[in-house]
Amino acid sequence: MKRKTAKLAATILLMTMISITLAGCGQPTGTAGGETGTPTAVTASSGTSDTSAGSGKYYDPIDSVEYIIKDAAGKGKVGNWGLGNEYEVQALLAKYGQPITFLSQAFDMDGFDNDTILLASAMTYNELGLVKNSYAGGYGYGDKVGIIDMNDEGVAMLEDNIFCTREFAEKHPNTVKAFLYASMKGWEYACNNPEEAAEIVYKYGSSVSSDHQAYMASEVKKLVETDTKGNTVKDYGRMDDGALQQTLDLAKQYIQLSDPAAAEKLKSMTLDDIRDASYWEEAMASGGQFGPLEKTSVAIQLKWLPQAQFMGYYVALDKGYYKEVGLDVTIIPGGGDIGETTAVYTGQVDFGVTWVSNLIAANAGGMDLLQIAQVYQRSGLVLVYKLN
Amino acid sequence: MEKGVLDMEVRPMKIQFNAADEALDKKEAGKGKQNRVNKDALTTVLYPVLFGVLILVLWQTQLLHRILGTDTFTLPLPGRIINIILANVPEILKNVQATVIVAVGGLVLGSVLGYLLGIVAMAFPKWGYGGISIASAFTAVPIVAIAPILNNLTKDFSDDPHVRSMIAKTLVVMITCTVSMAINAYRGFTELKPFSLDLMKSYAASKMTVFLKLRVPNSLPYVFTALRISVPASIISALVSEYFAEYIIGVGRQIRESIVLAQYATAWAYILVACVIGIMMYAILLVTEGVVLKGRRR
Repeated sequence: MKRKTAKLAATILLMTMISITLAGCGQPTGTAGGETGTPTAVTASSGTSDTSAGSGKYYDPIDSVEYIIKDAAGKGKVGNWGLGNEYEVQALLAKYGQPITFLSQAFDMDGFDNDTILLASAMTYNELGLVKNSYAGGYGYGDKVGIIDMNDEGVAMLEDNIFCTREFAEKHPNTVKAFLYASMKGWEYACNNPEEAAEIVYKYGSSVSSDHQAYMASEVKKLVETDTKGNTVKDYGRMDDGALQQTLDLAKQYIQLSDPAAAEKLKSMTLDDIRDASYWEEAMASGGQFGPLEKTSVAIQLKWLPQAQFMGYYVALDKGYYKEVGLDVTIIPGGGDIGETTAVYTGQVDFGVTWVSNLIAANAGGMDLLQIAQVYQRSGLVLVYKLN
Repeated sequence: MEKGVLDMEVRPMKIQFNAADEALDKKEAGKGKQNRVNKDALTTVLYPVLFGVLILVLWQTQLLHRILGTDTFTLPLPGRIINIILANVPEILKNVQATVIVAVGGLVLGSVLGYLLGIVAMAFPKWGYGGISIASAFTAVPIVAIAPILNNLTKDFSDDPHVRSMIAKTLVVMITCTVSMAINAYRGFTELKPFSLDLMKSYAASKMTVFLKLRVPNSLPYVFTALRISVPASIISALVSEYFAEYIIGVGRQIRESIVLAQYATAWAYILVACVIGIMMYAILLVTEGVVLKGRRR
């Protein structure tokens, strides 16, 4: 009996102690955190505290882009994911004379949904679809949202490309050309048959629903077949020096490198340091005939999880385009912290898909990567806001 | 420049080192008596320092790169790393502050909780030790698993993402620090000197007196044993938990961001900073231990 009471008392004591500690520890660390609460370059911490100010009042369709950006930036409620995806947003903020700080946005759109973020970053083919559509995982806003397009604002930076190391390209020119030829054939087929392409991608493993995959395919088609000015492009994968130069110029302005040596290298970088169009040109002119391949088994590292963003490669694999040119291709999905630039640089894979700005940063840091094709002809990044 | 950082790393040992150096000089001059302790101190410091210098020389001359089969991009030269640190002092200090607050805060909270758990276990020995053994299962849960969970659990604690991510990170550190303290405190309370408990009984000392006069003083060395495990663990878990935090700050987070953006030299600069934090905190612990336990050991 006595032992039982002691046990009971001890259990209660233990429980209270744990709960007190758990409850109490919030306070001291909270204040400690507050002391260091100076906003970093990445995050304006003041933005989330006044949620009441902006809720209930959104924007009207007639509001100018300038008004919306100034209003959202003034409230500190512009969001982006960071990690090298922020430069276009910063360029846009700077264009309208706003400080280039933004809130750290998660990879879902909950922050936009609950008004923590008024002006949220979204890719036309991914997050924008989730915001608008009401299929599984969507937020179902439909037409109740408006967007600001980076291409229209003149701050577009090019995104998904194909790259390898300069050394690999020089040592394996025929492999590179064969890979480009088959990949572009895959992209052409995917853009002509987006629904089928979406199904193929879904079959190879998908992080999202098949509905969203189909939406993504239709949006990616637009990015691949339209340039920053809105003109139609039918040369899949061509490199538009004008758009690339704009990307490089903006990158030089907004990529902040702590390493003085890398910052110096970035400043003096030219287009010749990052791209070589000759492989793509020769591949397209070859008609599918190449000399002996230096390497037949190659791998490509994607920037993100398997999804229609990369449908061209999956279609080329599924339709046997890679086999036709004598290549055995492995597609390696990305996601999380997988650095596609590092994977290619260290030779774990031969080719990679990345954003041009990431390639520029990597080359500034000391890699020697070479862009060999530009798949997306315009920026897919938009800022999305709710309408009243 | 490089010398500056090297000095910083070995500073806590430097005083000892100089003393030992002097002793050696004296010995060589044939004057003073041999000082055994100082000679030991000399070798214990000299060998690691020599090894460090050797590695540094191999590193800067790129011989290390040849041995490891790597290049100056993946493993940048020390000179470049130091340059980055010197060029970004305010930024680095801001991140160091965030990491140290989390590590120290979690360490203190976890140690206090662990000590209290030790008292509970001592008061009820029948199930106390078994309970602590079960609690030690917590340490087997990897930080990478706890950190995101606590991140979600603390979502409603504050509107400020900076504050709530600080809370989440501190809780992770607290969990990793609690158990080693609980086990060691329990041992400190129970593994008493032979007959000391009998002596207290012969004085008819109350349980409280036994606890305050015998058990608590006896537990002090054990507390430091626990801290020797907890201090490095607190730094590591603070660095790792930053990876998952909502708010982008801290030395660990900067290492991750730099690697994602392929800025390896910058990442190495932050790795070096993380090492310095760890060494400094450990040195502070050793000095404190020396002061508190003066004349108690050996």
